Amino acid sequence: MESLMMEFINFYLIPGLALGSVYALGAIGISMIFGILRFAHFAHGDVMTLGAYGTLTAVWMSGLHPLLALPAGIAFAILAALAVDKVFYKPLRDLPTIYTVIASFGVALIFRSLVQLIWGTQNEVFIRGVQKPIVLFDLIRVSVLHLESIAVIVLAAIALHYFLTRTRTGRSMRAVSDNPELARVAGLDTEKVVRSTWIIGASLAAIAGVLSGLDTNIHPNLGWNLILPMFAAAILGGIGKPMGALLGGMVIGLIEELSSYTWFTDEPLINPGYKTATAFLIMVILLIFRPQGLLKGRLF
Amino acid sequence: MRKSVVMVAVAGLLAGTAMAQAADTKIGALMDVTGPLASFIPPLMNAANFAIKNVNDGGGLLDGKAVLVVGDSQAASQPAVDAATKLVNVENVPIIMGALASGSTIAAATAVTIPAGVVQISPTATSPAMTEMNDGDHLYRLVPSDNYQGDVLAKIVLAEGIKKVAITYVNNDYGVGIANTFNAAFKKAGGEVTAFEKHEDKKNSYRSEIATLAKSSPEALVVIAYASGSGSKIVKQAIEGGFFSRFIGTDGLRDDQLIKEVGADALKDSFFSAPTSPDKNDASAKLHEAFNAEYKEGADKPFVDQTYDATFLAALAVEKAGSADKTKMIQALREVASAPGEVVGPLDWAKAKELIKAGKDINYEGAGGSYEFDANGDVTGYIGKFIVDGDTYKQIEIFQ
Repeated sequence: MESLMMEFINFYLIPGLALGSVYALGAIGISMIFGILRFAHFAHGDVMTLGAYGTLTAVWMSGLHPLLALPAGIAFAILAALAVDKVFYKPLRDLPTIYTVIASFGVALIFRSLVQLIWGTQNEVFIRGVQKPIVLFDLIRVSVLHLESIAVIVLAAIALHYFLTRTRTGRSMRAVSDNPELARVAGLDTEKVVRSTWIIGASLAAIAGVLSGLDTNIHPNLGWNLILPMFAAAILGGIGKPMGALLGGMVIGLIEELSSYTWFTDEPLINPGYKTATAFLIMVILLIFRPQGLLKGRLF
Repeated sequence: MRKSVVMVAVAGLLAGTAMAQAADTKIGALMDVTGPLASFIPPLMNAANFAIKNVNDGGGLLDGKAVLVVGDSQAASQPAVDAATKLVNVENVPIIMGALASGSTIAAATAVTIPAGVVQISPTATSPAMTEMNDGDHLYRLVPSDNYQGDVLAKIVLAEGIKKVAITYVNNDYGVGIANTFNAAFKKAGGEVTAFEKHEDKKNSYRSEIATLAKSSPEALVVIAYASGSGSKIVKQAIEGGFFSRFIGTDGLRDDQLIKEVGADALKDSFFSAPTSPDKNDASAKLHEAFNAEYKEGADKPFVDQTYDATFLAALAVEKAGSADKTKMIQALREVASAPGEVVGPLDWAKAKELIKAGKDINYEGAGGSYEFDANGDVTGYIGKFIVDGDTYKQIEIFQ
């Protein structure tokens, strides 16, 4: 019985939390951009990819551990996000949002093609070879990376909460998200808020990209392949609610991994081949009964 | 004044390209440049370009040059259909080399090339599903069907003394095809399969799948997947979780990328099967020498021989047909590829062109085999057994 419990923790629960952290970090940015700029940012996955490749380049040049080289990747992702906002999204801001949404599809393709052009189409790895897990008390086997992922998401949650509730910029962001007209009338600098949104969204996306790259490998479609679960997480958590997106990401990640656990019989509850579908199914059911998402997000 | 000068110059340029194009003949190529086969592609792209270069250095195609037009089929169905549609409808190619993955090859053939009546030659697609396809004789391949690789792999596994395996395969035409044939052959020969599970490509975590596969303690895990897709991740996560230490892979997994991600040490007990070229083959040796002289490296990479041969055969078919008329390609391809006829090999373009001009029948014997197509467009061939050797693979046995 005990060993079964351990199997559950080692191979289902912890990987589920680690996967959820990646989804959550991406979903926070998507949710904030949706809340403040009012459009679904389809290039967000590719911002993740850029962050991962930026970090990879820093690792190649400096030989540092990827997590130490992360600031370089974050800076690269922020620069890219601010640049596309200035060049592509800002001129479209007064038009109906569908223009910006389609533009973000274009930006996604541009980012991906640039990655292919500069770094090539082949897969890359941060650290070559197999990383042996840490074994505690002969029972818990956990990969260092998964502990790092979970630690990162906890830190991010604390920092984000502090930022949104205690700082002036954070409070302005919530004000713009709740009621942009009122915020503008009240004299808030919306352009500054927009900039902060991109900086935070891109930073978290870059971290998510690097965590995902560390867990598996880095390739030009890294972020694009994650965009659907991240959107699902943002919607599940409640659009425009960063903490909701965080929660949504963890829920989607956990459902994916836990749905194939041997809950009742010796067979997996759901064939692992269908685990992605399970996460989406639960999202759809939840939204039917609670359309505003877990944390009362916006309804469009 | 200045404006009109520019106009004249532009008009001249346009006329120039139009004239050059009139004499040139396009050969289509579907390459899975991005996606799970990406790491295979660079040497294969060189192989296709090298074949075209040989054609142009040896007197050109028809009255002009051969031009390779490449589409990225991404080893997935929808991109393959898009890329093939562009080659057929926009570029009007008479014949297509590719695609590489079974999934993209079948998708392009079903949706585009068969309805349009364009011959397609895949250098590498191994799915058994292609044999039964109602293709009007338009679809060919240069590697044996996985019906064959599955049988051989089952024999190799049992010969290693492994009697109990778990199988995981990627849910596409390639994975499903070879997994079913291997599963049937292995059981029939007395082996036990403890788990037979498909998985989706492009996921980040396969830990729950692997935990399920490891139940009832199989001796090894058979991974039928592409190394740059799900394959390397599964192997890595299986080792990290302490589930499996021995892996058996097919041609999709036998990729340097796997060693790059997992490390050679962790793979020392693992082995792989893959279509290969016949032993001690002069055509292959000749091609490799010329290839490495041109590109410095890469002639021994997987499927370089077949990709070169497929491109060369496509060009031969056009030359034999005497025009870029797509309706003549089936007959022309079968004539140049099969006996009887005077044998020509890789690099022999000038000789082949001469013989065709003289009205003689030719028979292309390539670096990867002799390519005598049967009624289904299939070939018999060779399967090699490979083990990891440093940063790459070493062939230790060959089966016909």
